[in-house]
Amino acid sequence: MGTIGFTVNGRATSAEIRPNETLLELLRDGLQLKGAKEGCSVGVCGSCTVLVDGRPVSSCLMLATNAEGKEVVTIEGLADGERLHPVQQAFLDATAFQCGFCTAGLIMGTVGLLHENADPSEEEVKDYLSGNICRCGTYLEVLQAVKAAAATLRGPGGA
Amino acid sequence: MALAPQDRATAGGTLTEYDCGIVGTSVSRSDGLEKVTGRAVYVGDLELPRMLQGKILRSLHPHARVLRVDASRAAALPGVHAVLTRDDLADQPNVYYGPVVRDQPVVAIDKVLYVGDPVAAVAADREDIALEALDLIEVEYAELPVVEDQDAALAPGAALLHERSSQPRVVFADMKSLHLQQESNLCSISHLRKGNVEEGFRLADLVVEDTYTMPMVQHAHIEPHGALAHWDRPDHLTIWSCTQNPSVNRAQLAELFGLPEGRVRLIVPLVGGGYGAKTYPKLEPITAWLARKAGRPVRIVLSREEVFQTIARHPSKVWIKTGVSHDGRLLARQVEARYDTGAYADIGPRTTKNGGYVAPGPYRIDHVSVDSLCIYTNKTPAGAFRGFGVPQVAWNYECQMDDIAERLGMDPLELRLKNLMVEGDRFHTGEELFSVGMKECLEAVARDIGWQRHDAAYYAARRQRPRTGKLRGKGLAVMIKSTMTPSLSSASLRLDADGSATVMTSTVEIGQGCRTVLAQIAAEVLGVPVERVTVSLPDTDFTPYDQSTSSSRSVFSMGHCVLEAGKEIREQVLALAAEALEASPEDLQIRDAVVSVRGSPERSVTITDVFRRRHGSAMGSLFGSSSFQSNGGLDPDTGQGKATAFWHIAAGAAEVEVDCETGRVAVLQLVAALDTGKTINPLGCNMQNEGSVLTALGASLMEEMIFDRGQPLNGSFLEYNLPSLKDMPGRLGTILIEQPHPDGPFGAKGVGESSSVIIAPAIGNAVYDACGVRIKTLPITPERILRGLRGLG
Repeated sequence: MGTIGFTVNGRATSAEIRPNETLLELLRDGLQLKGAKEGCSVGVCGSCTVLVDGRPVSSCLMLATNAEGKEVVTIEGLADGERLHPVQQAFLDATAFQCGFCTAGLIMGTVGLLHENADPSEEEVKDYLSGNICRCGTYLEVLQAVKAAAATLRGPGGA
Repeated sequence: MALAPQDRATAGGTLTEYDCGIVGTSVSRSDGLEKVTGRAVYVGDLELPRMLQGKILRSLHPHARVLRVDASRAAALPGVHAVLTRDDLADQPNVYYGPVVRDQPVVAIDKVLYVGDPVAAVAADREDIALEALDLIEVEYAELPVVEDQDAALAPGAALLHERSSQPRVVFADMKSLHLQQESNLCSISHLRKGNVEEGFRLADLVVEDTYTMPMVQHAHIEPHGALAHWDRPDHLTIWSCTQNPSVNRAQLAELFGLPEGRVRLIVPLVGGGYGAKTYPKLEPITAWLARKAGRPVRIVLSREEVFQTIARHPSKVWIKTGVSHDGRLLARQVEARYDTGAYADIGPRTTKNGGYVAPGPYRIDHVSVDSLCIYTNKTPAGAFRGFGVPQVAWNYECQMDDIAERLGMDPLELRLKNLMVEGDRFHTGEELFSVGMKECLEAVARDIGWQRHDAAYYAARRQRPRTGKLRGKGLAVMIKSTMTPSLSSASLRLDADGSATVMTSTVEIGQGCRTVLAQIAAEVLGVPVERVTVSLPDTDFTPYDQSTSSSRSVFSMGHCVLEAGKEIREQVLALAAEALEASPEDLQIRDAVVSVRGSPERSVTITDVFRRRHGSAMGSLFGSSSFQSNGGLDPDTGQGKATAFWHIAAGAAEVEVDCETGRVAVLQLVAALDTGKTINPLGCNMQNEGSVLTALGASLMEEMIFDRGQPLNGSFLEYNLPSLKDMPGRLGTILIEQPHPDGPFGAKGVGESSSVIIAPAIGNAVYDACGVRIKTLPITPERILRGLRGLG
């Protein structure tokens, strides 16, 4: 066992971890943040996506120990109290979910995308989010949600 | 009760009666907020005090006798609290389960039948300890010959998988429509006979014969199977599970443990997709057993690799022979469909039967003969999968329709329309067809994709086109599919004094949006705002029996119950309001929880006033409940009778571009039309349609579980490719047709899987139209196209 210190959803956090513990295990079991899901454990399905220093990461592949000193944001940390993050709001408005198991990962991936590219083309969205599988087949609505969220985040002045 | 066609006009309920405008609109989903905030709870998120983690030891052999299982070293590992092996089951009366045939043991007893077959299970403080303990269990096997596929299974001298004769406990009435076999690799067989096919072939001007195959594919629901079992008393089991069948699962657990059903409580939280994979017992028996042995709550959540080893879609080999007249009338069709159900029957006998009687397609044919075989092999068990046995046969008959059209020089659309069954025709099973918008669906997709009539000149030009560069083509397909019949659903409904309502139902929210749609139906009939209606999650201690959340039956069957239960409450409300308003109940309407006299809105009372009148103050509840049982059944030798309570209807059209240099298929357009009966929530119906299309797109172009002598070669997401955003067709179109059904609530039928059936043949026909390569084995890979282009077969 060892201890790491990092920031989770804006809070300085320290946690006891096993050497082989993944970030996903630490978040779900240690910190009880259950929004990130394990779908495949090999970094392919994207349902465990969280932001590490602003970039989307498959938390099932990252060792918890490598989160030392980093800033981690999960789906639970996006909303400001009851006010949803614009990406969450866009997914809700577009009904960009069905079973919902992949939704947190898709939202975190979208936040990462729009952080890097405020006005992505549809091809860029498809490319960036191709690592987030939605087996219910909600892709049309996801594209719509990403587009709407991008527009909101750019604000009225953004073209 | 299901109604005969002549009673149609009186059944169901019409919207004009209620006029709240809630049914028919894209009401927002009730589960949105928890899903976008990560607060939605799935079974793997649940924890109980003192809960242990369970892990399963699985066979590495496809077929072997189990000589010895020694778990003593595993049991001695610190942190391990229980190891379940066959020794624990030795003195138990019921250790086998299965929805049709009790052929699947909780853990292996004398043999293992596929790679992944559970042999033992460990409950430990942590998952890593449980995994370590699995390595300490010693198992000695004697390998047996491997039965690789359907043909090998039926070959003389094939090794027999199931040596003991299992007791088919016929719970489901439709199992009388097929023949279950004993001590044979043939698990079951069903037949369809009408007319005399030999006579039909003799009369035909053209006879065409083909064999089409489909590989095993994965459901790939992103939430793996999971269960959490807790024995709060030695005779009372509470189990949380992501099952699609809480009621049936409860019955099977009660049978396994010799308990009254009321001593098993099955709770289903939100479910992260299933598409059929979570029907019937999967993980529940082993989790419950392990928890019982440990004396503590145990949760098992499968790894993705284990999901691959739990359930899949039936591979198929289907031979079809069709006789047709020179002017394009189908005269005779004979089919032999061989479904590979893997190591255990699961629901395979029904899948096979249901594929069988629709194998001639939705066409008028005087002479048909079908044999549909469900066959055991040493592979992953196959069960229900979106489309339920019908993709396997529609892939075949719809591709053959295009070949027949070309041979006759006819347009494929015209050939289909000429033969397509319509309202009032008798289906191959002898029943009269109603509420079947096949023609409407087919014409809609053809129009939408810009179908160009294939005449002699078209065919001549197509034949002469050089097979180079990028070539485009279009294809069509249409299908008909039954729903589980007979089947039973029940619901109860409660209206509270403040005008809120609660639907108690065992329908599972698996992503399809059932809770939203059932709330719409309740709100419409009760006249309350839809936001005021809460729909339960299944909890068998409280929610009444429902046979299954599958077969696209929930809106039709459960929706029917909610509507009828709502009517019961509505009548009570109207009677009380009529007294207060000194009006006749027939003259009253309810909207926004206010009862008023039609035409005189000022004469009104609120629902709360009605409760005051009844109970002296604003408190209490009004109750309603309803059951709906559909009727039907087929003769096991001829398949004649009534197959279904309603028909799923869909048609699809594809436009593709085939790169003749690389063999790659780009799907430019994919359009699916389905007959909803009545669209209760347009967005929800469209999303179910899109989902069906994209699942089928994967199975058409990229997905295949590959086995080598029973060993799975690509059982994880690293090796098994799924459609991502980048695999979306250039345009994905969805069309909803409404051909109301008398028994459906407001005329509604099921929409959850119809379009999954027509995508493969639509794409296959488009590929053929583009480059002249007829693919008969899915998936349609670049390699297969290049082989076809080079004449390598």
